Amino acid sequence: MTDTWPRLDVHQSRTHEPTPYEYKLAATLEEVFTREGHELADVVRGLNTRQVHAADGAPWTEESFRAEMNRLGA
Amino acid sequence: MTLSSSATADHIYATGLRNQWHAVVPSHHVAPGAMRKVTALGEQWLLFRRSDGVLSMLADRCPHRGAPLSLGKHLGDRVACWYHGVEVEPDGTVSSVPGLPGCGLEGKKLVTSLPVREVAGAILAYFGDEEHPEPVELTLPEPLTDPEVDAFLCYAEWNAPWRYAVENLLDPMHGAFLHHESHTMSDGDTTAKFRIRETARGYFFEKTDQRGVNFDWVELCRTGVDWVDLSIPYPPSAGPGGPFGIVGMVCPVDERRSGVFFWRYRRVADWQRASWRFLYRTVIEQRHWDVLEQDRVMLEAMPADADQRENLYQHDLGVVRLRRLYRAAAEAQSAAGA
Repeated sequence: MTDTWPRLDVHQSRTHEPTPYEYKLAATLEEVFTREGHELADVVRGLNTRQVHAADGAPWTEESFRAEMNRLGA
Repeated sequence: MTLSSSATADHIYATGLRNQWHAVVPSHHVAPGAMRKVTALGEQWLLFRRSDGVLSMLADRCPHRGAPLSLGKHLGDRVACWYHGVEVEPDGTVSSVPGLPGCGLEGKKLVTSLPVREVAGAILAYFGDEEHPEPVELTLPEPLTDPEVDAFLCYAEWNAPWRYAVENLLDPMHGAFLHHESHTMSDGDTTAKFRIRETARGYFFEKTDQRGVNFDWVELCRTGVDWVDLSIPYPPSAGPGGPFGIVGMVCPVDERRSGVFFWRYRRVADWQRASWRFLYRTVIEQRHWDVLEQDRVMLEAMPADADQRENLYQHDLGVVRLRRLYRAAAEAQSAAGA
């Protein structure tokens, strides 16, 4: 740890540079929140409608979406 | 001792109030088994962490000849000055003078050691002067202790006086102008009426005619540590959970420099919490940073005599109140040591 002044770090919450999958999921999620609302069922449907699926390619379910958010937002 | 109670009011006003807690640096700046030199309240300090995580904060000055202990060696449970090997315990006691065993310095507590607490990822220290070495009671900001609130700490270092950084927070109206081009503060009126509302721990400075649209209110809280609380609406893209809040603290580094601590927090649970955390890390943190940079650019560009040649208006009541409060405290602390 250096003590160089000033420390100006944009990203202080990340554990890694987001993957392309994570960037795409985040961007789509923002669009879904904006256009479809904030209910879980609407969010899952909105993602599936846009064919932005889980990393394994499967359509989202409420359970799989929760699990993935818990993984990515832990 | 390094924080003299005979400091002038001007010096205290410029370098930060004594006899209270201040945030110093984020906890992760001092790894287990490491030590780190920091400047705070215009003085040099050494943060020293044992391998088991226990942290201490010492004046960065060997009691022998005044060499910086931060250039010395971490010996696990104590530090050895590089100059002559004098060993100092985390509580400031000289444990060994290798050049003259049995020397009278041994066993004496000759180095200032500040009480420290680690809170929500930040190191807080109590900066008492010679007359007030015992720490005052510290009541932590509720958003940082409430288990239903989730927070990320953002820390940045600015070449601006600490008061400018605090004044900026007691000046909500700058949100509608300086931050107009931002993801959270483009809405709302660019005119407003403000009022001060006193509380038991400080005061609110708030708009009387708009709430929940922009940066519309701020509360200054003096609870052993000075902090502000404020709330800013998130756009729908940030998902469920409502607005995000900011707990802000400012470390007076020296007369010209500040460390700023902003905990961005949100009252969220379950998948909503997880989705906010995911979005924050992936896309929102960068946008918040861009907003914070607008503040830094402006405050660092302010002339040194900015607060000497002003023409204030009604929106500046929160700043005026703040200055009066801090100036009076600096005068009182100076007078107490006279």
